[in-house]
Amino acid sequence: MKGLIFDIQRSSFVDGDGVRTTVFFKGCNLKCKWCHNPEGIKNYKEMLFYKSKCTGCGLCRKICQNNEKECTLCGNCALICPNDAKEICGKEYNTGELFEIIQRDKALYSQTGGGVTFSGGECMLQIDFLRSILEKCYENGINTAVDTAGNVPFSYFEKILPYVNTFLYDVKCIDEELHKEHTGVSNTLILENLERLIKAGKRIVVRTPVIGGFNDTDKELFRIFNYLKGKGIEKAELLPYHNMGAHKYEGLSLPFKEFAAPSKDFMEKYKKVFSTV
Amino acid sequence: MDKRIRALTDLTLKGKMYVYGKETELSSFDKSKSRIENEAIQLCEYILNQEPKITEHSALTGRFNFNGQVVGDAFKRIGHTYTARALEKYYLKPQENLSTMEWQHATADYKKVLEKGIVGIIEEIDLSIKSHTDPEKIEFLNGLKMVASTLIKWSDKCANRVMEFAKGVKNQENRQRLEKLAQALMYVPKNKPRSFYEAVLTIYVCFSADPDSLGTLDRFLSPFYFNDIESGALTKEEAQQYLQELYLMVQASTHIDSVHFTRGGESHFCVGGYDKNGRDCFNELSRLIISSMVDLPTYIPQVTLRWTEKLSFDDFKYAMEYERLDPHKRIAFTNDEKRIKCYHELCGIPYDRAVSYTMVGCNEPAFLGAITGSSSKGNILKCIETLFHEKGDSIKDLSTYEEFYAEFEKELYSDLHKIFDYDNFYNLERAKDYNYISSLFFNGCIESGKSLTQGGGDVVVASPMLIGITNLIDALIVVKQFIYDEKCCTMEELISALRADWQGYELLYTKIIKTGKFFGNDDPVSLFVSQKLYNSLYNYYKNKKNVFGYPWLVGDLLGYNEHHKWFGENTRATPDGRKNKDRLKFGIGQSEGRDKQGLSALLNSVALLDKNAIGCGATVTNITLDEQVVKNDDSFLKLCKMLEHYFINGGVHFQLTYVSQNDLLCAQREPEKYKSLRVRVTGFSDYFVKLKPSIQNDIIERTVKK
Repeated sequence: MKGLIFDIQRSSFVDGDGVRTTVFFKGCNLKCKWCHNPEGIKNYKEMLFYKSKCTGCGLCRKICQNNEKECTLCGNCALICPNDAKEICGKEYNTGELFEIIQRDKALYSQTGGGVTFSGGECMLQIDFLRSILEKCYENGINTAVDTAGNVPFSYFEKILPYVNTFLYDVKCIDEELHKEHTGVSNTLILENLERLIKAGKRIVVRTPVIGGFNDTDKELFRIFNYLKGKGIEKAELLPYHNMGAHKYEGLSLPFKEFAAPSKDFMEKYKKVFSTV
Repeated sequence: MDKRIRALTDLTLKGKMYVYGKETELSSFDKSKSRIENEAIQLCEYILNQEPKITEHSALTGRFNFNGQVVGDAFKRIGHTYTARALEKYYLKPQENLSTMEWQHATADYKKVLEKGIVGIIEEIDLSIKSHTDPEKIEFLNGLKMVASTLIKWSDKCANRVMEFAKGVKNQENRQRLEKLAQALMYVPKNKPRSFYEAVLTIYVCFSADPDSLGTLDRFLSPFYFNDIESGALTKEEAQQYLQELYLMVQASTHIDSVHFTRGGESHFCVGGYDKNGRDCFNELSRLIISSMVDLPTYIPQVTLRWTEKLSFDDFKYAMEYERLDPHKRIAFTNDEKRIKCYHELCGIPYDRAVSYTMVGCNEPAFLGAITGSSSKGNILKCIETLFHEKGDSIKDLSTYEEFYAEFEKELYSDLHKIFDYDNFYNLERAKDYNYISSLFFNGCIESGKSLTQGGGDVVVASPMLIGITNLIDALIVVKQFIYDEKCCTMEELISALRADWQGYELLYTKIIKTGKFFGNDDPVSLFVSQKLYNSLYNYYKNKKNVFGYPWLVGDLLGYNEHHKWFGENTRATPDGRKNKDRLKFGIGQSEGRDKQGLSALLNSVALLDKNAIGCGATVTNITLDEQVVKNDDSFLKLCKMLEHYFINGGVHFQLTYVSQNDLLCAQREPEKYKSLRVRVTGFSDYFVKLKPSIQNDIIERTVKK
């Protein structure tokens, strides 16, 4: 069994407790308008092309095995490009290969209270592979976290519950229509799954991206806060919008829409509010 | 900051506290006397003709500088005729593109003068004279005695000058402080100090004899500090001011027009670490030493925290907090566990001496009361260049990496032999000079009756530094990965590619650059190769002694000079993807964008190099972090834990710079806008815009860890 991964980030300070390795699974069933990992949406390998980096040197054409007719994603053109204008996104790993990388920082996880975080895209969409790697990590004493938007059948969660220490669970907004408009899907299943997960007694950290023009209003943030308050989650974190993924849209030939980032004062105010959840 | 210290700081940063060496009418050389006697007489005449720097705000004084008329201290080597000649021929001038002569650092043993006073040192000299029969040694010892007595007279002169100055001071508080200073100068450094204040004053006066490192300052001063604090004779605030005045003297020791004025490394010392009983020394005074320094807006001195497994996380975090706060980047960190094991177990240095090491200069180890023999820099990449460009026939038909490595090792050892020969040669050139004033404060010189420059010290390490280690590791990785493991090319192809400077081999070149399992990525191939290389280096140098019988320790450091550029300019293309004339990499912690797996991968790669091998010489791991990491308290705490883990894992050293690559590029384009941007270079920090372009480029190319 293999999983399709688009990035592995060691030494992450932001994806859960301690110092962590974050594994990004390719494929997502939401279409968030502000997505900063758009290369993680498609559930197949793809070629990214950064037109602004291309100098037209022609080396990629010379090396192409198929005369550029039908790309087999062999990667030779990306390899030869001196300007990194082309990039293959997505690599398959089996459980053993992925675990070998994760376990390299095992001692560091113990020292810092860290571990591994599976993220994406939506890692739950590759549930069988996810279960396999979670089981392997868990058995080897590595703390595990799953970062999910929760838009999958609850039976998926049931498959992995015993092997997950923490769920990093996205709650983007409470208003269903607003959710649909900005992510392409309803949040009914997402919120139902969250309730069931809480009942299952799992440690949950809710994460809410704060996006200008979407949910950065007192009304929406207080709705989220009131919804979460007293529910028994570990904590609620607010993540300010950033545009650091902008260049990736160029690579995917997709239009990039810039959102407003919330002000520091605004974030501070609501971080305080959410700390009482 | 205290008002008095602020005033002294202003004067120091304007260059007004520098003490100029005063031109002195010296007796002419008396042909009936020996060279030693003549040199010692002139030195004493010079010292007694100097004038101390005194201001209304002073609580300390007694520093003097040499102007070249006489044989000065062993660090600046002013007046050392033979050393000057050797420096002119070999300093920073590559010989066979393999070796350059380097400066030597030295650390006085202030503990000795604090425990005995100069009168105690004179008693030691008398005893030694009685034990020797060699006339040259007796003559040298008599010279030392003359200089020691002169230092007492110098202190008396300073006392008188202070007393005269005090008479004209109207402010009562200032006058009383000066009167106290005059009284203290009549007592120390002649005698053993009776208080923390007198102890600091003793170091202040004796610093002229070796204006390099303050050594293990918290250890020297702790008995005085805790005694005075407990008895109520001293407050923490007073202690802070005395320390700050001492630091200001160190800053003022360098002339404001010198590039070294804003560059750390000219006085680098240590806090914490193990004592001879295996206890961690970091204490309340160590904390005060760090905080007092960061409170000053100065550049020198710089301090390294010696980390041990017994150091609490709180103390480690305390030093990290000050490092984070310090805009002048004066704090670095090193690991006692690995160093002491190496010094004691492998070099045979007695444990009580091994624990007395301090960091000096850029980042070289030196032992208390000893000189560090880091007297040369070597081009370690040259061996691989020779193999591929001149001895291709000997490697082209080898069928395994092990066979290739055996050939490589022969070439490596041949170059190391030459590098060590050069190092010995430079030392012998230096040894033609006698040194008097520094030898007084260095262990072994009095007992042996020999000058510090001539191997008179008791425990010294010789530490030639090898430039291009990371290039060499990467070159070996490429050979193993692409020729023997993945069989992407043959040895003959690689040889041809290098001889053509990669022209016509673009695909192979790009493949190597993009998919090479280079050092810093915590890859098993890289680990195997780097450990094997370190084992080879270790096997070569273990049990070897230099010309004076000092054990060798090799390091990977590059100083502030551009050795990596000079060596690189004459080194042809190498398998690591380096082209003809490209500069070599420096240090072990910066992989110039090739380490793509994050900070833990880089730290693991460095820490897992053979623990007993070369890392214990001069070694530098520079880590450049996105400043956001330290702005956020939660991330900063994780960083502290991660770096503590790095030491537990076996890492030897680290120092941090917080900056984005974009800022550095902007600073290069518009230096006038980035005048205050300070970065860690090798073992020291400096203003980015003042660095030479090739060193700026190296810093820009370090991978910024987010």
